[in-house]
Amino acid sequence: MRHVLWMALFASLTAVVFGVVAKGSDRQRLIYGLKVFAEFIVIAFILGWILYFLPLH
Amino acid sequence: MVTREIDRSAAKAPGRAWMLALGAWAVPGLGHLAQRKWARGLLLGGVVWVMFFTGLALGGHLFRISGNDQGFSALLQLLPMSANFGAGLLYIFCWLTNTGFVEQAQRVTYEYGNTFLLVAGLLNYLAMLDAFDIAAGRKQ
Repeated sequence: MRHVLWMALFASLTAVVFGVVAKGSDRQRLIYGLKVFAEFIVIAFILGWILYFLPLH
Repeated sequence: MVTREIDRSAAKAPGRAWMLALGAWAVPGLGHLAQRKWARGLLLGGVVWVMFFTGLALGGHLFRISGNDQGFSALLQLLPMSANFGAGLLYIFCWLTNTGFVEQAQRVTYEYGNTFLLVAGLLNYLAMLDAFDIAAGRKQ
């Protein structure tokens, strides 16, 4: 569980910077930041499940 | 006459912009705060500072090229070191006080710490470019 929290913290901090430096109106940048955050989380979960099923041990 | 004045002001901007970019690199957030972009400065600077100290707290380590690294091994250190270097004076302070350069691979959060430290520097490069663009008049 703690790993997910660190990952979420990383995703949120990175999304803040991406949202702030993006071009467009405040609303567009807010949506972009939220999109970046969601992409980080979704992709991390997908990769996590792929790795779970791989016989790595 | 008017064109000359515009040209002169455009020629002046880059010098100031370079100084602000240097300030933005040295102290995360300073480049925007110096241009009175308070919210941007606090957000960008705050994120870099938080990421850097979280990275250290998680047991991550900073990279540098030491005398022991030779040939290809030295090159492998160069890329992560340049990412860490983006944190500006935070990195230089750690380098001078030899803080955060010890590997703590036994800690569970070691890799998270490394990633936080690397990305803190990279995000500060982004913030630095943003401050430069604003100072040069390329961005609002």
